[in-house]
Amino acid sequence: MTTALAPASDIESPRALPQLLTYLRGPVGSIALMLAAVVVIGAISVGPAFFSASNVRIVGVAVAIPLIVGVLASFALLAGVVDLSIGSMVGFGAVAFNQIVASGVNPWIAAGITVVLGVVVGSINAFVIVGLGAEPLAVTLGMLTLLRGVCQAIVVQAPPTTLIEPLYDVTQGTTFGMPTLLLIGIGLTLVAAGVVSKTRVGRKIQAVGGDPRAAQRAGISVVKVRTVALIVSAVGAAIGGIFYVGQLGSASNILGTGLEFQIYAALMIGGYSITRGGVGNPIGALLGLLVVAGITNILNVSFIDPDYLDLIVAVILLAAVLVDRFRGGDAFE
Amino acid sequence: MTTPTLTADPAAPRPSARTARSDAGSRTTVRDALSIAAVWFLLAAATTIVRPDFLSSQSLLAITFTMAISGVLSVAQGIVVIGGGLLDLSLPVALVVSAWATVTLLGAGIPDLIAVLCGIVSGGVWGLMNGLIIVYGKLNPIIVTLATGFGGLAIMMIGFKSAQIPSGSALRAFGLGQFLGLPNIFWPMLMIVGLAGLAIAWTRWGRRLTAVGGNPQAARARGVSLRRVRLATFSGAGAVAGIAGVLFASVTPSFTPNAGASYQLIVIAAVILAGISLSGGKGNFLVLLLSVGFLSTIPVSIAFFGLPPAFALIFQGALLIIAVGIDGFRIKRGAR
Repeated sequence: MTTALAPASDIESPRALPQLLTYLRGPVGSIALMLAAVVVIGAISVGPAFFSASNVRIVGVAVAIPLIVGVLASFALLAGVVDLSIGSMVGFGAVAFNQIVASGVNPWIAAGITVVLGVVVGSINAFVIVGLGAEPLAVTLGMLTLLRGVCQAIVVQAPPTTLIEPLYDVTQGTTFGMPTLLLIGIGLTLVAAGVVSKTRVGRKIQAVGGDPRAAQRAGISVVKVRTVALIVSAVGAAIGGIFYVGQLGSASNILGTGLEFQIYAALMIGGYSITRGGVGNPIGALLGLLVVAGITNILNVSFIDPDYLDLIVAVILLAAVLVDRFRGGDAFE
Repeated sequence: MTTPTLTADPAAPRPSARTARSDAGSRTTVRDALSIAAVWFLLAAATTIVRPDFLSSQSLLAITFTMAISGVLSVAQGIVVIGGGLLDLSLPVALVVSAWATVTLLGAGIPDLIAVLCGIVSGGVWGLMNGLIIVYGKLNPIIVTLATGFGGLAIMMIGFKSAQIPSGSALRAFGLGQFLGLPNIFWPMLMIVGLAGLAIAWTRWGRRLTAVGGNPQAARARGVSLRRVRLATFSGAGAVAGIAGVLFASVTPSFTPNAGASYQLIVIAAVILAGISLSGGKGNFLVLLLSVGFLSTIPVSIAFFGLPPAFALIFQGALLIIAVGIDGFRIKRGAR
């Protein structure tokens, strides 16, 4: 939605035009064009109701938690270590937080414990992947299954319901007419984008993801960067779980199932890769998630079978990685 | 299975290098086989001590029943991994595509044999589609099969909510039957594991597969067409997944499009536990059979221990993490 403003702003300064063109040719540019296309399709097929405050809020609420989880998980992708376990980690975080709060513990302490659990899971992932040198995909697939098993072992019957007022206000409330949680997510995205593109830390992460050996020779600690990235990813998922409890008032043992694929599909559409590091920008992650959320919304409003969403996402995903390859991305063979 | 006719001569053997490598290879294979067999034995022994009634034909039936379908699907995944195709994440969908094709044709009154063949072919076509996208798009197989798995599942969800095998069909009778005290479906699995093992070791196709998986550049330099081998790898794996789908259809009275999802982890875990490294080029199907057997025993043991089924997920996940951890550590130490 912000992209509609982009062409208008470059008319003011003619020098920005070539810069903008190179930008549009990059991954963030093509995803911005795709988002514009989704908005146009939404405007045509749904009509003015697509831009109504209530509809924008629905999209915003739906995209906020995946955005927070996705932006923090994107650091692991950028560092070249995919973390598939985030879906179950969101579920585990939510279940743990919900059960601890239901047992009478202060919500702030419960949130602290949940974040610590995220750190523990992230550290285990990091130890096996970075310390022992195992394949990240396989390790985190194992962690995905393990944590889902833990969720099912903890929540056997109907989970307890919890209502935490301040958390409910954050997850369901609005600030300046926008969902508060979405503003938090966008703020986080902008901070993350700044870190990735403007700071030394960001360049280090990109270097590690792009070519770990070269980064090592340049004196960057690959072990440290990847360990921190994996912990950040797991903690992000734990925080996402806490927010889901705020939104839903409870946590079932299937919460977060398949979320990792939704998030990574959106991130890959936005220019990240789950098989090589060093590429992608948090802004792309935001736009990718908005594209998927926009399509979801169009399908919902038009009463179309939601199964079409996965089909459309799959096609866009293939198209996005193909475009990325034509742009000079890694070719397989 | 597809045997591609390649124009170039088979890879020229380099005696000294080959024997040295296969010696080291067979030593790790034996070690893998022994360690998996030992852990399997320990699990069975521990379960027997806690619950002596574990040693019964009932548990044997349950274990071999689980082994059958996941075993065939593991062979499919094993072919992809050995061939350097990284992973095929869409295999569970290939299984359901084939099962759906089989039961639909059976329901339409098509003879069993033709329906079964069409089911297997539909799996092969699914694999060929993956292969074409991977080879001509030059895209990473993990991402491609993630997307096609996603999309394929969505198409099936749109197309049907659940599918039933006609209860009077010969295939259903086969699925319910037993032979030598074990489920009928166990025996085709054993045959496929054996055939795949022999094909890898003794046929030109198998040698090409391991050559391309181990070192694609070297294989290409010797005149092996990467494209054809890759296409054959993914279609062959798809066809084997198609066989798994037929077996699945024969034992499942009714299934939903998502029915294959539960096999994803156990199959990948079995392949990695069997020492079939994701970097490709090596693997032994006999070890794979052991690892499938071990992983299939876990849920049965969990049930005998009186633990809820969720613990099977915890154990299988933890095992996968430990197995890849050990594998990674071994490679890292070897590289130094």
